[in-house]
Amino acid sequence: MRKLRIIPRLDIKGHNLIKGVHLEGLRILGDPSAFSRRYYEEGADELLYIDSVASLYERNNILGVVEKVANEVFVPLTVGGGIRSVEDARAALRSGADKIAINTAAVRNPNLIKQVAETFGNQCVVASIEAKCVSSAKWEAYIDNGREKTGLDVMEWAQQLERLGAGEVLITSVDNEGTQKGFDISLIKEISEAVSIPIIASGGMGSLHHLVELVQKTEVDAVAIAHVLHCDKNSLENIYTVLNDLGIETRR
Amino acid sequence: MVEIQKYLHNVDLSIYYKDQNSCVAKYGLPREVKFCKKCVISNQRPNSAIEHKHTKNSLKETIFFDEEGVCEACLFAEKKHTQIDWQGRERALVALCDRFRSRNDSYDCLVPGSGGKDSFYAAHVLKNKYGMHPLTVTWAPHIYTDWGWKNHQAWIHAGFDNYLLTPNGQVHRLLTRLAVDNLLHPFQPFIFGQKFLAPKMAALFNIPLVFYGEHEAEYGNSIFETEKAERDWAYFSNSSDEKVFLGGTSVADLKHKFGLVQQDLLPYLPIDPTDLKAKNIEVHYLGYYLKWHPQSCYYYAVEHGSFQASPERTAGTYSKYNSIDDRIDDFHYYTTGIKFGIGRATYDAAQEIRSRDITREEGVALVKKYDHEFPERFANEIFAYLSLPVKEFPIASKQFESPTMDREYFLKLCDKFRSPHLWYNEGGNWHLRHAVWHENQA
Repeated sequence: MRKLRIIPRLDIKGHNLIKGVHLEGLRILGDPSAFSRRYYEEGADELLYIDSVASLYERNNILGVVEKVANEVFVPLTVGGGIRSVEDARAALRSGADKIAINTAAVRNPNLIKQVAETFGNQCVVASIEAKCVSSAKWEAYIDNGREKTGLDVMEWAQQLERLGAGEVLITSVDNEGTQKGFDISLIKEISEAVSIPIIASGGMGSLHHLVELVQKTEVDAVAIAHVLHCDKNSLENIYTVLNDLGIETRR
Repeated sequence: MVEIQKYLHNVDLSIYYKDQNSCVAKYGLPREVKFCKKCVISNQRPNSAIEHKHTKNSLKETIFFDEEGVCEACLFAEKKHTQIDWQGRERALVALCDRFRSRNDSYDCLVPGSGGKDSFYAAHVLKNKYGMHPLTVTWAPHIYTDWGWKNHQAWIHAGFDNYLLTPNGQVHRLLTRLAVDNLLHPFQPFIFGQKFLAPKMAALFNIPLVFYGEHEAEYGNSIFETEKAERDWAYFSNSSDEKVFLGGTSVADLKHKFGLVQQDLLPYLPIDPTDLKAKNIEVHYLGYYLKWHPQSCYYYAVEHGSFQASPERTAGTYSKYNSIDDRIDDFHYYTTGIKFGIGRATYDAAQEIRSRDITREEGVALVKKYDHEFPERFANEIFAYLSLPVKEFPIASKQFESPTMDREYFLKLCDKFRSPHLWYNEGGNWHLRHAVWHENQA
């Protein structure tokens, strides 16, 4: 029986927590460490730290932020953005990350997934995919924070990532991200069926109904939440309570 | 006789050597290239000008830099963030709306736009927050993008009547081609309608008030313009067609050499100022009254309508939310890159730095990564659009050395418009003499 994991997602730019719409028009929200402390105290299962513009700016400076947060919160921490080599992954793990998320660098060099998995274990590798709907039931993988097409079919790409050794898939819907209009259910459903590794669904949650619908209609293992939490539209406490009342099992 | 420009030969590379001591600056641009200390714009940026007077020989006025090396747009942004009394300005807007608000079921203001984030915000906030009854009008882009068309429809479905004027495709293509050959300015025919349509429609429908969005000066025109709420009539009115140039070509030549008739030109001609006076039409900037923030307009349009960012970044830049509805837009910014050394990423990053959305360091990285990228995605479609087959253009096609626009012609044409003080050629490749990211390499 699935026990749903609830994962606050913190997108980082420079030293700031940011949030966009369709991964665009990035708005500065404040100091990420204050947000993550709150989520930790409220019982988050894990945290997701993504320097979503690392590839865009060709820089890699999330580790300072990660080190700080790793000293303050004690739940599994996934770090992504700008990880381009086994050495980058090692540095992120040293800074306190438990798992590494990779998107752009995997598209440029799929073997990186294999290398990181072989070096640190499959459980350590989260393959991150930014999916953009191109036609009915067809999605294309994007890189550079939803800016650049790759020509890769999301389902085929996810299967390849699984074969290369990814332990989980973080799937972000570029179409729904930041819109608060709900998850792309058919995307999540299809990718859950395409691979056997756990799926973290991201992008579009605006209310608890969206989350309940997602859980009821898909086999998703975990959900990443940003806007609803950052903008204080709902609390983790309340989310857990409602899910448990509905008989949806969580880790609490 | 109109002189046919000859472009199908290579430029003389001797004025484009890397180690040139004195380089000619075209278009009256400043000889010495400087970059703003706060954003990424260079002192080569031309001010918004009166397009219907633009000819091959026009000289540009350019953005002002103060003695600290800060551009006028950044100086205004600072004022916007720290000095302007926005509450007072909003009270003035309420007073203006009170003065014009309709009590007899008629439209009381006119909002021109594409249904992009800014015009969405303007029309929606005027209707829903300030109780106005806006009519929206749209001057069609050269070639709609799919997402631009969807956003236009989403705007209407957010609660507005809209008149869409789509100009005669043959006339528009010819004027665009002339603007490219004479001025390397493919976007110019759009600008005519953008500036002229709203006042003319206001006169037609007896609507006394027109709202444009933000001031030109937010991007670099004289800061004194921002002291005024009303738009200078010189932008959109002219009393005599004889002094009007379209695509750098006089109205007389358009008729006598290119086969156009007066009716073909109607959408492109500015309004007679006596008509404006007779109808008491006032043209205001909403950005004078409300603190304009493009990113916030994007959020607003997503929240209150179904506005969508484009599904891919625009060629030559990183952004997906602004200026996304016209397929020719990529070429507009590519050509500003050729003429002034300023590509789309520079414009986008400069605005976002001034709005405090990104840092200068980030802006410099984005300019380095994306500026001057060749806009491949719609290129073949645009070349076909700019071609004038004899069958469709029996008279006009005779005036061109090559009525067909292809890649080779376009690239050679671009080279003719490169200013030697901005570009050098080495081994057949073009390089900028000055770029904002060079300063980090010292």
